[in-house]
Amino acid sequence: MKLKFSLISRRQFLNTLFGGWLIAFLSGSFYALMKFAFPTLGKEPDFVVLNAKDFLDIPSNSVKPFAWGGKLGFIFKRPDNKTVALKGVCTHMECNISYKPEDKKFYCPCHKGWFDIDGKVLEGPPPKPLEFFDITQEGEKLIVAKKGIKVELPKA
Amino acid sequence: MKKIVIFTIKTINKSIKYFIFSVPLLFFNVIALWAEEKIDVFPSTPYDQFIIYQALILFWIGIIGLIVILKMKLKEIERIQSMGIDKEEKDVPFLD
Amino acid sequence: MSCQRLKNWFDERYDFEGIRSFLKQKVVPVHKYGILYYTGGLTLFLFILQFITGMVLAFYYVPYHEQAHKSIIEIVTKLNMGWLFRSLHHWGAQIAIGVLFIHVFGTLLVKAYRKPREIIWITGFILLVISIFFGLSGYFLLWDERAFAAVRVATGGAGNLPFIGGFIKSFLRGSIDVTGETLVRFYAFHVCVLPLFTIFFIGLHGLLVQYHGMSVPISVEKDTKKYEPFFPNVLYKDFIIWLIALGVVVTISVLFPPEIGKKADPLAAPPENIKPEWYFLFLFQTLKLFPGDIMGLNGEMIAIILISLGILFFLLIPFFDRKSSRGEKSTLFTWIGILYTAYFIIMTIIGFLT
Repeated sequence: MKLKFSLISRRQFLNTLFGGWLIAFLSGSFYALMKFAFPTLGKEPDFVVLNAKDFLDIPSNSVKPFAWGGKLGFIFKRPDNKTVALKGVCTHMECNISYKPEDKKFYCPCHKGWFDIDGKVLEGPPPKPLEFFDITQEGEKLIVAKKGIKVELPKA
Repeated sequence: MKKIVIFTIKTINKSIKYFIFSVPLLFFNVIALWAEEKIDVFPSTPYDQFIIYQALILFWIGIIGLIVILKMKLKEIERIQSMGIDKEEKDVPFLD
Repeated sequence: MSCQRLKNWFDERYDFEGIRSFLKQKVVPVHKYGILYYTGGLTLFLFILQFITGMVLAFYYVPYHEQAHKSIIEIVTKLNMGWLFRSLHHWGAQIAIGVLFIHVFGTLLVKAYRKPREIIWITGFILLVISIFFGLSGYFLLWDERAFAAVRVATGGAGNLPFIGGFIKSFLRGSIDVTGETLVRFYAFHVCVLPLFTIFFIGLHGLLVQYHGMSVPISVEKDTKKYEPFFPNVLYKDFIIWLIALGVVVTISVLFPPEIGKKADPLAAPPENIKPEWYFLFLFQTLKLFPGDIMGLNGEMIAIILISLGILFFLLIPFFDRKSSRGEKSTLFTWIGILYTAYFIIMTIIGFLT
């Protein structure tokens, strides 16, 4: 069947074509703009390598901070002299936490969150326990890695 | 005689060869001198450059397409305006 | 589509009928100088482009004298598309100022400044001064040798004005000499002070143009009987011109990304054959014309005073040009307009060639 006249007017057709083309053009340009405007995001590291001497000799029941990428990490010597590593960032709103040796608890001052030495939430709004890392010692190097990640250092 | 002629041609060839080889070397030296002070202000890998020129061509296709559509719209509007049916009549009674 | 409901929602609350009927009524006269009507819109578009590229560059630029040069290198070499946006901002500025000058000299030559549009001329003049200062301050942010010398010369030149020169110089420099303090100051001018003034004056300029309607040159005033509706005819033509301009700016930016000069060293001598940006060349050449000493007076001071007078006369042209404000032909001011235009063009070319 052939219609004698078109169901859409020339104007409608042109408007749709124009609108679509314009949207495609602008979104292409906008994409380029956003590619520049958004930071070239750094990833959180899978592991960091520290100098073992600086971190293994800390006194019992204390923490020593290290840089976990751009975030805070703690090497923590527990009261029972076991050394562990954890991310020093509260699971609630990403504030930095601090250790209270007298209470043997981690404390987040932003919204009054308390964690015990195993990272479990005792009080306050944090939804998840603290994130702990695996630590292994290789000679003078102390490797702090995300749980479940195998690190193979190049032999030098 | 013949020998001499051949000899000269050969030497000329040789010198041309040297010349041809030395020209790119010369250029290379100049580029190397420049490169010490200059900072790359344009992506240097051929792949990136290809992508950029491709994007530029696509960009122009987008622009030309928009211009063509705008021209068509303009023509359409002018056609309607010349027919004089674009103006709303003020005394049109409401239907409802 | 639910557009109709949205439209009704707004119509119940706001009176759009006024704007709609205004848009419908706005017409643009058709005559042989009609092309000049598009230069203003094009300048506006290029300025908007500058605003956008400037905003994203400001995310990464560090306005501190030890890091400024390094941060630009990082923008260009490390960030995604960084080289493109710096290049766009650079070439966008050049082309915007070029189109702005065409707009200025075009309106000068067709005497669009005449009564009742004197205030439009004055706001336009202020925008011109702002744009040039935009160029100078933006250029200085590169913190390279040429920028350093250029700003030293420009602020020093302003310091030669009698009475107020010293104040202007110290206000611009922020200290006795051009230093890191100047960089912070120029950054503040470039990203905060000047944009705010620009938006205000562009708004005023545009509103006044809408209020008075488009000016028609005296010579074609009688013959102009045809009018084109602004919406949509002229607007579509505007769009076409804007798109072409956008394409040109992007193409030039991709093909000729600007180099990064050597970091400025306040104690080093400026490099040989140093030249300011092209839109300062006519001033630069004028200063060169004057000898250092004219009958016991400081030649540079006289040059600066003469230039200032020339610029002041340029600003006040609508008030001196009595004839054209009465609607009569004013040959004298046509020649004055041509003189200004020719002086600018010739001095710029001489500056380029020497």
